[in-house]
Amino acid sequence: MRLLVIEDDPLIARSLDQALTPLGNIVEVFTHHAQAREALQSGHFDLVLLDLGLPDGNGLTLLAELRQRGDTTPVLILTARDGIDDRVEGLDLGADDYLAKPFSLAELEARVRALLRRSQQRVDNRLAFGALTFDATSGVATLYEQVLDLPRRELLLLEGLMLHAGSITPREALENRLFGYGDVGPNALEVYISRLRKRLEGSGLRIRTFRGLGYRLEEVSS
Amino acid sequence: MIEVEGTLKSRLAIWLLATVSALGVLLLAEAYFSSQRAAERAYDSQLEAAALTIAEAVQWEAGQPVVEIPSAALQILATRHQERVFYAVLDADGQTVSGNLDLDIAPEWRRRASSQPIWLNDAYHGTQWRLYGRELDSAGWETQDPVQIWVGHTMTGRESLTEVLFEHAVTRFVIMVLLAGVLMLLAMRVALAPLRRLRQQLRRRDADDMQPLDTRVPEEMREMAETLDSLFTRQRQGREALLRFTADASHQLKTPLAGLQTTSELALKSDSPDAWRQALVEVHGSAERTSRLASQLLSMARLRHAVEANATARIDALALLHETAFDWAQRDAAQAHDIGLASLPASPQYIQGEAWALRELLGNLIDNALRYTPPGSVITLGVVSHAQTLELYIEDDGPGVSPEVMAHLHHPFERGGRQDTEGSGLGLAIVDSIVRRHEARMQVESAEKGGLRVRLFFPYLTQHEQG
Repeated sequence: MRLLVIEDDPLIARSLDQALTPLGNIVEVFTHHAQAREALQSGHFDLVLLDLGLPDGNGLTLLAELRQRGDTTPVLILTARDGIDDRVEGLDLGADDYLAKPFSLAELEARVRALLRRSQQRVDNRLAFGALTFDATSGVATLYEQVLDLPRRELLLLEGLMLHAGSITPREALENRLFGYGDVGPNALEVYISRLRKRLEGSGLRIRTFRGLGYRLEEVSS
Repeated sequence: MIEVEGTLKSRLAIWLLATVSALGVLLLAEAYFSSQRAAERAYDSQLEAAALTIAEAVQWEAGQPVVEIPSAALQILATRHQERVFYAVLDADGQTVSGNLDLDIAPEWRRRASSQPIWLNDAYHGTQWRLYGRELDSAGWETQDPVQIWVGHTMTGRESLTEVLFEHAVTRFVIMVLLAGVLMLLAMRVALAPLRRLRQQLRRRDADDMQPLDTRVPEEMREMAETLDSLFTRQRQGREALLRFTADASHQLKTPLAGLQTTSELALKSDSPDAWRQALVEVHGSAERTSRLASQLLSMARLRHAVEANATARIDALALLHETAFDWAQRDAAQAHDIGLASLPASPQYIQGEAWALRELLGNLIDNALRYTPPGSVITLGVVSHAQTLELYIEDDGPGVSPEVMAHLHHPFERGGRQDTEGSGLGLAIVDSIVRRHEARMQVESAEKGGLRVRLFFPYLTQHEQG
């Protein structure tokens, strides 16, 4: 994957480079918006890490320009300003995620991975997480290359969880996916979750419950 | 934002001008009419005197009146205004015995003059005349018919006398108005002197002088002076609090920075990779704590920034709680804990508040719960709807705190009596500020499972306000 880092602090820029390169990425660092703008216009990137406060202008302008051109490259905003307004504005302008400085590298890596996975899924229309795959076109799920023969609702549930794999899928979203917008009992979803859990036993994957919030498909080691 | 709207002087002047103009019109009209009356009286009495003088010159010869007009009478009639004069002596039949003009005396006038002397205004040859007629009784002689004596003159003398009198009245009036204006200006200078004094005193003050005012003011300005004084007092208190806070904050930041400095210094002196590694671990932890401290200090400063407009809005507490819990549950720091929501009311629950501050509030409580409970602890957030208030709570099943410590928890830099965990103790102080900002109430108590429960009671928005 080719990553564009726009960050003027040399210490942070070097850390980003050193943390993301070992994950199999090519990282290019720019310290000014003007250079980054040229790079974005001439080449293809899989992810942009954008620092908002640079000496030659606001990063939000660059983001707006990018989206106006119809460029859908995922953008992760990095900023020391953690004001909620900046955050909302950034997401409104089409940023894909937002990380306030200071951040831990582990958190950054997780976000980058999630964004890259999502961008990959957009390209080949195929979800993959750990040993699980799901082909959205044919509706076929596989675990360790073996086709999983799932009833329709469990398949819908698996797809919902895999769309957000690594982060929490809101419970409401899953309920709507499985049962439509009608009223359902509080335990209806839990029944399907526990069925799916049984199928995933020993696969290195698990579904973690966040009470009242939702569920997350995650790797057991994490 | 100060908007200058005219001057006190011009306001007073306008009022004065309006009153004086209205009164002036009345006064001048009255002056004109009384001047006219005075001139009338003066000249009418001249006519009367002339008629009497002529009357004395009337003689009777064989029952017929004869008159030799005395020059004195004509002198009386002829004023210095080159007026034309008229006189006539009529016998009982109305025939002119003597006269200088053929001015027609109407029979009606003669009839009225026979009972008592009369004054008349008449037009003759296009000129206004003032006429006086009286009947002369022939007392003392036998069988004589009465004669009538008529005198008159044109009006020029009267008009010019009226003019002169009126001019005098106008002059007096204008002088009076000018004097009143000057007096008003002087009076205003005197009356506004305390205001000017206060202004000069305020202007001379140093920017950081917050002492109470030392000046004499009249009763009308007392309230303003007292308001200014209380403003100074509040500013002084605010500044003192800020200085205290800055000192506390600097001290708080210096401690972990000193740790970073000594740890890295020691590591640089050492040759052992193990010591380097150990130092790096410490440096990393300390850097994390310091940056958290910095962001908490920033929140604290933002909360204390009283000038910031109170940008409250109607907020759905359920959505806010859900969103904040969701955000925190995803974070790295929360992975060892079980964060969740209790079942929430079905309909939205509205409170009035600032969204960023409420997020900060909940975030600090969650952060505290994560830091002060062992891994694996269960942290639950929930909402309970009471009659008057909406309660947001967060509880954990951690070790809890002792009752005596609980009372001091919301003081800045208090760490629940514990020195073993990281953190500055600023979290609950921030929470406390936000709670007070929202006119809410915070209650810290032991949860049933032994941990800590923080309950926040927010004033409910009524149905009316919600709509």
